[in-house]
Amino acid sequence: MFLINDLIALLAANLILSQALGTSTIFIAAGSRKNLIGTACVITVFTTIGAAAAYLIDLLIQPSIADLRLLFYTIVIGILYVALLASVYRFANKWFEELRRYIHVSAFNCAVMGTLFTINSRAAMDGTMFDLGGYVSAGLEAGIGFIIAALILTAAYKRLNSSKVPASFRGFPAMLVYLGIISMAVYSLK
Amino acid sequence: MTDRKKSLLGGVLGDNIVLSGLMVISPVIICGDTLKNAEALIYAFSAITFLSVLISSFVPKKLPYTAKVIIYALISALVYIPVKLAAREFYPESIERIGIYYPLLAVNSLIVFQTEAKFFRMKKGDMIISLLSCIVGFDIVMLLTGFTRELFAYGTINSRIVDVNTLIGGLSQPFGGFIFLGLMCGAYRFIRGLVSRNSNNDVRSDADVSDK
Amino acid sequence: MLKKARKERLVWLDIMITLLTLELMSYFYYGLRSVFLAGICVLTGFAAELVSVRLMKRKFTADDLTCTSDALILALMFPAVMDYHISVIAVLFAIIVAKNLFGGRLNMIFSPAAAAYVFVLTSWERQLLQYTEPHVKTGFFETPDNLVKSASYIFDHTGTFNHTDFEVLLGNFSGPAGAVSILLLAVAAVVLMMRRSISAGAFLGTVFGTGLFAVITPMVSSRADSLKYSLVTNMVLFSAVYIVSDVRIAPKRDYYAFFYGLFIGIISYILVLTGAKENAIVIVSVLFTPIALGFRHLEKQIDKAAQEHALAEAAAGTLDVTAAGEEAVSDD
Repeated sequence: MFLINDLIALLAANLILSQALGTSTIFIAAGSRKNLIGTACVITVFTTIGAAAAYLIDLLIQPSIADLRLLFYTIVIGILYVALLASVYRFANKWFEELRRYIHVSAFNCAVMGTLFTINSRAAMDGTMFDLGGYVSAGLEAGIGFIIAALILTAAYKRLNSSKVPASFRGFPAMLVYLGIISMAVYSLK
Repeated sequence: MTDRKKSLLGGVLGDNIVLSGLMVISPVIICGDTLKNAEALIYAFSAITFLSVLISSFVPKKLPYTAKVIIYALISALVYIPVKLAAREFYPESIERIGIYYPLLAVNSLIVFQTEAKFFRMKKGDMIISLLSCIVGFDIVMLLTGFTRELFAYGTINSRIVDVNTLIGGLSQPFGGFIFLGLMCGAYRFIRGLVSRNSNNDVRSDADVSDK
Repeated sequence: MLKKARKERLVWLDIMITLLTLELMSYFYYGLRSVFLAGICVLTGFAAELVSVRLMKRKFTADDLTCTSDALILALMFPAVMDYHISVIAVLFAIIVAKNLFGGRLNMIFSPAAAAYVFVLTSWERQLLQYTEPHVKTGFFETPDNLVKSASYIFDHTGTFNHTDFEVLLGNFSGPAGAVSILLLAVAAVVLMMRRSISAGAFLGTVFGTGLFAVITPMVSSRADSLKYSLVTNMVLFSAVYIVSDVRIAPKRDYYAFFYGLFIGIISYILVLTGAKENAIVIVSVLFTPIALGFRHLEKQIDKAAQEHALAEAAAGTLDVTAAGEEAVSDD
């Protein structure tokens, strides 16, 4: 029973539905199920590992140089970006051409960077969250939330791009309104 | 309008980065609920994007794509620091208003992807004009969104109360931003469709005249 | 083509008749104000649909009159003394944003009434969830006083329901104008199911899901009371008939629709039990939209596969006949 409440909480904290982070990425990826799954999984990898690195940065960074946080997060994401490309090239060369598209799109976007900053601000408010486990689970949660939002969009993708939708609203405008109505329902449960 | 003018100034209306390109939409949806927030975002976005793209234009083109993207992101992360320090000095309330979207503006897709795809294929002068038109396009959308949502959600304009009969509280929330932006995109496409049909008619009528 | 169009109009007619009987009951309890509110909603819905259909360059046909039933459903979900401005905005949202923006009745994604209800809930919660007591008549433009919380709210928060079974059946307790007449709703459900104007699977699934969990994890000490009151409060019956079982939204196959309704019923019951969320079923039905779309997509795939299989069999059958024919000719 409380699983339902946990699911609602997951939806309520969803990157896309409550913070609109990664919306452009999801629209681009929603075109095909394969693209969607690929992008969502890669973003989850970035948010989870990135959150672990963000914990170390937040541990070391002093309040006086808090403005450098973005720079350090960018360096970490950059290193992760290169590392992921290199590992895919080394261990999964067969799929490198296909997978690198997802990695390029997923690296520097609001979903990943926004997750790191959101976790940081939550940890600043709630001291109990300020540990490696808390950061990593928050990063994983954010990635799973992105996958859920992507699945929600895929379910309606064909209809939102159907010829029956008025031309002015076909595609992205209809997707925005659709996500808005789902987000509204999630908000009303809070 | 000539093709060159269209491609340089298209970022304002014809090819608006938010309404047409669907870039940088998160700050518009979340922070675009009041005019003051919109002004803060306009300052942050304009300063960070313009300076970042300008500085990034000096990065050697021969570097691999991955290296260039990382360098662009690092440049904008560095540009963010003085922009934020200046904001702290002259516009301190903007920082709290925008919250985490301030640093997120530094990784917006205009800086990270559009630079390679569009700006750096142009000459420097054209690039600056095109960049400025994209920034102005974003600013216009931001102002319109902030003004309309504030008016109908809070019944104020720039924190001054106006007489609005019925307020729609939902417009101030993220879902209100999604729906409002979706409607705005649709309206923009509709108007653009009408305008492009009319401009085709103009070309035809000129031809008719010259045929006489 | 013509048969399908007739069926849609007949469905609309059946639904309108049942809604009008609920409106009649609402008039009995709340007077002309509730009828006036319903009238404004229906006219607004009609005007919005007319304009939208013209903008979409389509002809307005009798099938497009479903906008009036959506508007009336919404009016019956409101308090009888709802602000007219809010009602008009809600109906415009339902018809234009939740329905015609996605292509209208040819491409339904959300239940327009449910989406608009959630929109009003998030924007004007206070006005939406306060009601007049039954038999309190308010003038057309009078500001209502002595507004009370609904019986559902009191039940959700305190576990008490101080009304007799007779009052429950006739809808003599505070709540949305059309969602409290339990006897009428039950009759409407049976009639609409028999005429196949609502999805029987979805309706039965919703009722079964709510009832099952009301017995397993009761809200009050008596399981029988928990079952009874869970079904009559929080717009469960009304939503089960007019929102969850909407044939335009629910899966077409009854067993898919049953599970669709079952999970909506279970999850909304849990939200009421754990969070005292009033009228949770309406919110959950909007959240379940992607699942309904997923079921419909699955049904299309199954139908397509079945058609291809049938065509392949027919082709194989034709080949056999041809081969047998050729054999017969050669034998001759």
